[in-house]
Amino acid sequence: MFILQVYKLLDDKRFQESITRASNNARHGVSKALKENPWLEELAARIKEVGDQVISNLEHYIDKTITSLQRAGAGAHLARDSREALRIFDDLTPDVDLVVMSKSMAAEEIGLREHLEKRGVEVWETDLGQFLVQLENGKPMHTIAPAIHITRAKARRLLSRLGRDPGSEEPEKLAHAAREFLRGKILSAKTGVTGGNAIAADTGSLVLVENEGNIRLVSGVVEHHIAIVPVDKILPDLRTALDMVLVQSAYAGIFPPTYINVITGPSSTADIEHKRVLGAQGPRRLDVILLDNGRLRASKHPVLKAQLRCVRCGRCQFECPVWEKLANHWGGPVYGGPMGLNWTSIVHDPDLASELSFYCLLCGRCSQVCPVSIPLDDIIRWHRTRVWKEGHSGEN
Amino acid sequence: MVDPLRLGRMLADNTLRHGYPLPVDPQVITGWAAEAGLPQPRPGRPVVFTGALYQLTPYIEALVELVGRFRDPRIPSLGLRLASSLPWSSELLLTLLETPEVARGVRRAWGILGSIARLLREAGMRPAYAWEADLYSGIMLYDLGMDEEFAQQAQRVHKLLRERGVEKVITLDPHTTHALRDLYPRYVDGYGLEVQSYLEVIDPSLISTKGEAGEVTIHDPCLYARKAGVVEQPRRILAARGLRIREPQMSGVNTYCCGGPIEGLAPRLSRRIAETRLSQLERASKTIVTLCPICNANLRAAAGGRGDLRILDLAELVGNA
Repeated sequence: MFILQVYKLLDDKRFQESITRASNNARHGVSKALKENPWLEELAARIKEVGDQVISNLEHYIDKTITSLQRAGAGAHLARDSREALRIFDDLTPDVDLVVMSKSMAAEEIGLREHLEKRGVEVWETDLGQFLVQLENGKPMHTIAPAIHITRAKARRLLSRLGRDPGSEEPEKLAHAAREFLRGKILSAKTGVTGGNAIAADTGSLVLVENEGNIRLVSGVVEHHIAIVPVDKILPDLRTALDMVLVQSAYAGIFPPTYINVITGPSSTADIEHKRVLGAQGPRRLDVILLDNGRLRASKHPVLKAQLRCVRCGRCQFECPVWEKLANHWGGPVYGGPMGLNWTSIVHDPDLASELSFYCLLCGRCSQVCPVSIPLDDIIRWHRTRVWKEGHSGEN
Repeated sequence: MVDPLRLGRMLADNTLRHGYPLPVDPQVITGWAAEAGLPQPRPGRPVVFTGALYQLTPYIEALVELVGRFRDPRIPSLGLRLASSLPWSSELLLTLLETPEVARGVRRAWGILGSIARLLREAGMRPAYAWEADLYSGIMLYDLGMDEEFAQQAQRVHKLLRERGVEKVITLDPHTTHALRDLYPRYVDGYGLEVQSYLEVIDPSLISTKGEAGEVTIHDPCLYARKAGVVEQPRRILAARGLRIREPQMSGVNTYCCGGPIEGLAPRLSRRIAETRLSQLERASKTIVTLCPICNANLRAAAGGRGDLRILDLAELVGNA
């Protein structure tokens, strides 16, 4: 019963302290970024408009992205749902035995890691936070900061289980121990999996933003790079795709980001007699799995479609009073908080979203701080209206 | 936890049948207006519309407490069985709620409403009151997603007010203001009421400067700040009375919820949120001004009778000069 989980979380003092600390730090980070770079707000307003254009014509942009990816020499695949995405992944990787992943909510959404582990494949998350979440067998507690609930003491215990006691609880030591372990895995893996913060329909360029540098390794040193990209991440062109990741990182409280990666097709060289050869220092193969999983249907829904312009900065989570007590435990199996509840409805289970919607205060802080002005609380309230209708499972 | 479906049905049934979410004596809702000497509606005069929220808040608090007694998280199955077997929609429930404490709460609410009426007169206004039309706005039904029942109540309230020739309405709390101003036009064909909060119609330059000097902080209700644009007005009224305002962390459109809306469903979670808000407020001042009866009740509950804090409705602080 959800309410019992709520009470357990409220009694967990460490959990409460870490969530509060993370929220306060993020608030500070966002307000600093916006104060020092007022142009970011204009950029966010533009992303809102462009996002709506794409949503109202999503099929067209999916087709265009697929054509552009193919032109760039990448494999392009459209998966209608999680199952199809996993089947495509399996077909692309029949003999794989080791996969390294960078943090991807889309991979979480389709349950990729668990699926690969069932196949007997060794899988490692390379984002430090997500790595810790993997070690504790838990779930990411925030879209951008998955391990905000894990203290340094717990992180040490988790790393020690790998036979690598970092020697102390100093975050530097912990990060170093993780780096040593993961570096070995990344260099041995032939397949690397990433998500995509944005993808440009005109060039087929994948844009990935990060601070840790693991994404450039995972997408750079392997032979085969597979990216799982939800279709709502499509932007009309490379320019707006770059704008979007700037907005995302600023409103997540990490600005400027350390790295922005732009990947257009597999690596290649034409340095010998001008003949193009795939696979220079980077991957020889790039496959992009575009994930629908309810998004196309939502793009035609009068209420839910606004959620599709979400840039996944997670600011609504940090500003939500309920999230500040429960983190991603409230909102659904993968996504959490105000935006997460609405995503749960789109990609997992609208009835679950309706049930959880009653824990929302409808206080409107989420909508107030959303960089692309999604009426998050209105959408959450709409989920309540569903339960009063006869046989409310399914669409209405 | 309260089953929101069961609770919603009870509130809706009562609202549509009695006009209020609980079958209270209408005198509980309207008695204050006779004491304040408000006249019946007359052409050209604005009408004060309470939407029954101030008067019903003590009952809501008692209901939440009653449900809480049946809901022990250590024995969830038993707690839930007991809670769901409560006589939700009957008059018996009301009997359980009619305690001396609730009666004191209603007296306090009447006092606040009377103070608001005096404040309006002091600012040169001549408000009237439409006894039979001062029903519950239905806002909780809207919040619960019961759009059909909310629409019925909205149409009924609108009809009653229009039948009495009412054109201008003065609301007293953020929920009723939001319902009548922002939501009713979407649910009532030919909606013809001009709605303003009392905080918006009072010209601070017309009210007397005598009053309680000192320093206060202010808790902006979410709906006033983010939906109705009522942020500066209460500050101007407090300043006119000579009070200095210390802004809390998170104010204006950035205000932080008191936790009230989920007190029935998840009382402990609601209380924690109220405690978080209270700590932000008390860092600014030990005198906290509220603009909504639900915020006031929640913050008081979170304060748990602490003697060093004063949590007062704006009208309690400035309305008695």
